[in-house]
Amino acid sequence: MAGKVRILIARLGLDAHWRGSIVVARALRDAGMEVIYVGNQRPEAIVKAAVEENVDFVGLSTLSGNHMELVPVVVRLMREAGIPDIPVLLGGTVPPDDVPKLKAIGVDGIFGPGTALKDIVGHIARRA
Amino acid sequence: MKRGLFNRTSLRDISRKRKRWIDCAPEKDDGKAEPKTLSGVPVRPIYAPDDLPDFDYRERLGFPGEEPFTRGVYHTMYRGRTWTQRQLAGFGPPEETNKRYKFLLDQGATGINGVFDYPTLRGYDSTDAEARADAGRGGVAIDTIEDMRILFEGIPVDRVSTSLVTCQPICNIIVQSMYFANAQARSIPLDRLAGTSQNDFLMETAIAVAPGVLPPEASFKLSCDAIEYCSRRVPRWNPVSFAGYNYREAGCTAVQEAAFTIANAVACAEELIRRGLPVDQFAPRLSFFFSAHNDFFEEVCKYRAARRLWARVMKERFGPREARSMMLRFHVQTAGVSLTAQQPLNNITRAAYQALSAVLGGAQSIHVDAYDEALCVPTELSSLTALRTQQILQSETGVTATIDPLGGSYYVEALTDELEKAMAGVLDEIDRMGGIVEAVRRGWIHQEISNAAYDYQRRIEAGEQVVVGVNAFRIEEEKLPIELFELPETLRIQEKKLERIRKERSETDVRKMLDRVAAACDRGENLMEVMVEAVKARATEGELAGVLKKHYGVWDPPLFA
Repeated sequence: MAGKVRILIARLGLDAHWRGSIVVARALRDAGMEVIYVGNQRPEAIVKAAVEENVDFVGLSTLSGNHMELVPVVVRLMREAGIPDIPVLLGGTVPPDDVPKLKAIGVDGIFGPGTALKDIVGHIARRA
Repeated sequence: MKRGLFNRTSLRDISRKRKRWIDCAPEKDDGKAEPKTLSGVPVRPIYAPDDLPDFDYRERLGFPGEEPFTRGVYHTMYRGRTWTQRQLAGFGPPEETNKRYKFLLDQGATGINGVFDYPTLRGYDSTDAEARADAGRGGVAIDTIEDMRILFEGIPVDRVSTSLVTCQPICNIIVQSMYFANAQARSIPLDRLAGTSQNDFLMETAIAVAPGVLPPEASFKLSCDAIEYCSRRVPRWNPVSFAGYNYREAGCTAVQEAAFTIANAVACAEELIRRGLPVDQFAPRLSFFFSAHNDFFEEVCKYRAARRLWARVMKERFGPREARSMMLRFHVQTAGVSLTAQQPLNNITRAAYQALSAVLGGAQSIHVDAYDEALCVPTELSSLTALRTQQILQSETGVTATIDPLGGSYYVEALTDELEKAMAGVLDEIDRMGGIVEAVRRGWIHQEISNAAYDYQRRIEAGEQVVVGVNAFRIEEEKLPIELFELPETLRIQEKKLERIRKERSETDVRKMLDRVAAACDRGENLMEVMVEAVKARATEGELAGVLKKHYGVWDPPLFA
């Protein structure tokens, strides 16, 4: 991939926890990536921003438990917007049973509590 | 008169002997990083009287229930009455959470601690397009006073004290009004109600931010409205709980946690005095909420230092007549952020140590986290185990027999001093900026928290901070040993209720009430009176919050700079 990796980071729905998303955003920026941090957004707005910002990755964060409702919507809207190939990454409290379901709909990486920053950075670097 | 507990000759001798002791150490620990507390205070290998050369018992400690309250705010502390065991609960529709409250009370919980779902905290109805995916998540869904009636049905709210974890002032001013109006509907006068509302503007603008938050000045104004109203009308209610716990969860150090709460309390006190309230009318009801994190002694000392600092700040700046105005009373929750999703049963042990630090630090009420909270909302079994942790602590360990049992430990006193000094330094910095509202507006608070959170994570990754099960003692391919909570159906239930209520209520009355709220906003009045009336007409939370957002506008907190 030419130039800096561009990654959009958004929090899903009304989830109020920002610590994880901000710590990850800072680590990615320190690893030389371009981070577009949009805070809490509806799926429509996330996909719109991903298209407009011409990003290479979409990173979603949620700790509220809304992932099974909202992540599939983001994935569907990305397909409809013609960007099905941009990898979607998800961070937050995702119960183990939901992991295979999310992977099955195409989520590229799922990073639960306790994930090391270097693992997230490494994952993106390998996929970029 | 000579200051200090120890005489000069002994101190000199002790220092000499300490030096000899260090020189005699069989091996030097050179090369190893010097241990520090979680907040970064260096920790010496041993503490002795020469670490406290000017220690004056009367000035630094005194006796519990007396200035400066270092040893506790009440004369008898747990010998008189133990801490309130207040387990946080809230999920799904109010019908389900009501059952959980009754279950916990039946099992010996001594207070209610109600948490609200994300839409409620944000001022949305469950059915709002923005909110639907989060209805019933993270807390109980409340849309109208009808939900409040269901939530407390069969619970004697005139006898059980209730904490409403309303977090943001925009939620608090509406949801607390529903609680008060519901009590009135049950013929319970407001002056019989005991409890606490969180109502912290920092929660709205810096800690738990989401789209469409009120600007700092507006959120602060609503917070003070609720405090002013309760001081006049609901005298046994703690109308604010400065949510240091949540600041800590977002990333703060122990020092920042306490300093930010005190800066917040100072700002509220200044504003209420400006509004004409005598300090002794509201100050005894300002309450605090702290975390119990992993660094055991630092946490104990944090509570002690915060008590002493608040007493001094209150006295010097506001000159109260009553001792109660200087007492820092606080609730503690064990640190959610310290829980691991890996090997979740380890969290029982973590939370027990953390709760012990809160008890040794003189907490007034405690919530112990459940072992599954890094994965889901607590199940009945996990919340019962958490409650039992408190009961074991209270009745089996003997730690309640004497007050402030760690007081006088050279280490504990030296660390209490250090932490108090550091907290006072942060408070000075905020003062120089023009106070906490300005510090939020500038994004300084956000930046400080973000920096501390990032540092903490980097320390974990460097292995400087051990997290058992995560960066040490891992189990690869672990099979989850617990059952997870399944959230009950929420959205459909709330949708049906809202539909029925919209048919039953008088739209004219609701419109009239919303207009009255808007007019009160325009006139800059205290909004509590009109809110309590508005919720009785069954205006929804979303409708009322909509009026506030329209009037005050919304703000985009500067999180990622």
